[in-house]
Amino acid sequence: MAVTASAPPRGRRKKAPGRGGMSRNAGSDTRAAYLFIAPAIIGFTVFVVYPLIRSFYLSLTKYNGLTDPVFVGFDNFRRLFTVDPAFWPSLRATGYLVVLYVPLSLAIGLALAMFCNQRFAGVRIVRTLAYLPVVLPAVATITLWKFMLNPQVGLVNTILEKLHLPTSSWLGSSTMSMPSIVLVMLWGVGGTMIIFLAALQAVPTELYEAAKVDGAGSASVFFRITLPMISPIMLLQVILQTTAALQTFNQPKILTGGGPGFSTNVLMLSIYNNGFSNLGRIPQLGYASAQVWVLFVIIIAVIALTAKFSSLWTYSDNTPD
Amino acid sequence: MRNTRVKTKIIGTALACAGLLTATACGGSDSGGSADGPVTVTVMTWESAETNAAIKKALEGFKDDNITVTMVDTPSGGYGDKLASLTQAKKLPDLFWCGNDTEQQYTSQGLLVDWSKRITDGEGDFKADKFVGSAIENWKTADGQMGGLPSLMNTYGVWYNADAFKAAGLAEPKTGWTWDDMYSAAGQLANKGGAKYGLVADQLTSLDGPFTMSMYSVSAGGAPFTDNVNHPTKAEADDKFTEGVTKLVDSIKSGAVAPPGYDASNVQALFSAGKVPMMFGGQWLAAGFQTDKPKIKYGFVPFPQVTTPATLFDSVGICTPQYTANEDATYKVLEYINTKVWDAVLPASPVAPPAYTPAQESYYNALTKAGQTTVVDTVKADLAAEKTVGVRFTTQWASQVGDLTTAMYQPILTGKKPVSDLPAYVGKINDLIKQAG
Repeated sequence: MAVTASAPPRGRRKKAPGRGGMSRNAGSDTRAAYLFIAPAIIGFTVFVVYPLIRSFYLSLTKYNGLTDPVFVGFDNFRRLFTVDPAFWPSLRATGYLVVLYVPLSLAIGLALAMFCNQRFAGVRIVRTLAYLPVVLPAVATITLWKFMLNPQVGLVNTILEKLHLPTSSWLGSSTMSMPSIVLVMLWGVGGTMIIFLAALQAVPTELYEAAKVDGAGSASVFFRITLPMISPIMLLQVILQTTAALQTFNQPKILTGGGPGFSTNVLMLSIYNNGFSNLGRIPQLGYASAQVWVLFVIIIAVIALTAKFSSLWTYSDNTPD
Repeated sequence: MRNTRVKTKIIGTALACAGLLTATACGGSDSGGSADGPVTVTVMTWESAETNAAIKKALEGFKDDNITVTMVDTPSGGYGDKLASLTQAKKLPDLFWCGNDTEQQYTSQGLLVDWSKRITDGEGDFKADKFVGSAIENWKTADGQMGGLPSLMNTYGVWYNADAFKAAGLAEPKTGWTWDDMYSAAGQLANKGGAKYGLVADQLTSLDGPFTMSMYSVSAGGAPFTDNVNHPTKAEADDKFTEGVTKLVDSIKSGAVAPPGYDASNVQALFSAGKVPMMFGGQWLAAGFQTDKPKIKYGFVPFPQVTTPATLFDSVGICTPQYTANEDATYKVLEYINTKVWDAVLPASPVAPPAYTPAQESYYNALTKAGQTTVVDTVKADLAAEKTVGVRFTTQWASQVGDLTTAMYQPILTGKKPVSDLPAYVGKINDLIKQAG
């Protein structure tokens, strides 16, 4: 059917321009949009915002989860920083873990990725083997490591003895316990490797070819091409690994229970012990909430600092002129 | 950032769930029925699958038309976590195994039924005076309430490898041996026959170490580490206590005794394999040895003494939440467990002497029949010991004392801090006692 130029099309009329407001279509679309994002907003409010506010409130109370919370102001924080003999050692253990684990996991992950980025027969098998520990159940592998690190009957000391090398009590020594935990954590470095591998494969090959033509050495290629090109991914990895290290729980819980002394009593383990598991004792949920907030602030601060100084060492081709 | 959100989501969700559970829990155990009709009484233990099966079978002998007894399945291990979650959800079974510290803390929060009147004024033989006296006393709170009843006694001593003693030309330890005898033997047994240390004494070096050391000072005529584990007024490290700690430090330094941090999780297996010549431990290990049959010849002897016999003393028991559906029915089952069930369970698995003394005979008979006569002698000696000390504080702030012990006492044992730091450590504990009122 022909439509004359003078006859407006049937249906809703367009609002005259310049009169403000939304068309009925636009209003309907907006309502639909709100409906679609409503579950996410409700979920975020219920599962993030509310617990955040609630946990902050609880951090200001003496609360055991059984009787009503009693408001005590900042007493929990005062106890944490001035009275609790476990807090500063826990913070130290957490810091030690981060300092030891993050650089090692990045270095080993990158080295593995570079190795697996080569073309050689069986590279797929090597990649699979490197990634395999990541998909195995964490508790099972950590328990296995506990057996292997047993000072009397463990495989590690048995091998060292056969090689006439010095043995250690590993998890039972306050100096070796944290390095042992980091060793077990590095077992899962395949996850880091996979992300680095993806980053390496995204580096344009022309750059390497040009460098080859210019006669650049392998070290020069690594530091002047590879590293800058993957630096945004490196930043992501630094943030992810640091956050993960700050939240380490499984390994110290299963391997050492936080000991010997406070050598592996990281913050997450301390929070868990105070808030949830105290061998049948009354929980201290208010106190644990205060610890949660301290950890939360630390994580935010670390991420903020990392992001702030990232421009000094990361390369981006999206930087505006 | 995403990980931070995930973290807060997890913590927040857990807290929210705890709040929601507290707010919405129906306020009752799983028991069905009412005071006028049939009632189900639920029972939860921390025992092994074998012992649970024996208990379940024994409970079939409980006959009451209006009462059904049901065992609640529990995971092997993680009992403390399970208990905590059931407590917060207000879903505790009618009868659940609990330690003395749990009973004290839960009772003080008003979570448990007070059985003190029933056990004192009740009819028949099931009365307080038929229980081991110290157990009943330890299960009373400061105001005389009893949120549960003691069921089994834990006694302690030193397990020794008789073969290792013989090989080293040493006489086997006997009741009345001294702490110097023990440390001397440990020194001579160390680094022999595949053993690194002569003595593994986790109770002396772990968080409960100061309480165990009380045995030394009390035996020497000194003061215990604390005057009361349930409602203490002070902690003390007098000259005798300091003397005991000094001897322990020297023995750790010489390599005779395993230091704090020694992984004691598989010490029982190592003892059975002949790689630990002496270890502190409880009588409950006898049940495992009876099943596993170590290849070594072993024995169990009371703790050493200075002048007077002294020992550790504690008991485990059975508690009941205050929201149990029918107190009378629950108490009937509780009475049945204490008076009848052990007779059926302990011969197969002699884990501990019952706190209800008329039920102890089956335990001793089982051990004697299995040839574990040194265990019988030591348990009897422990139960008759003139001087006893508690194993740890049962207070709500006990975990804070544990942190102080880790920070101050254990470094003393390893030589990282001087023994002269003991008063500072005890001073901090006394500060906690004062704060707790």
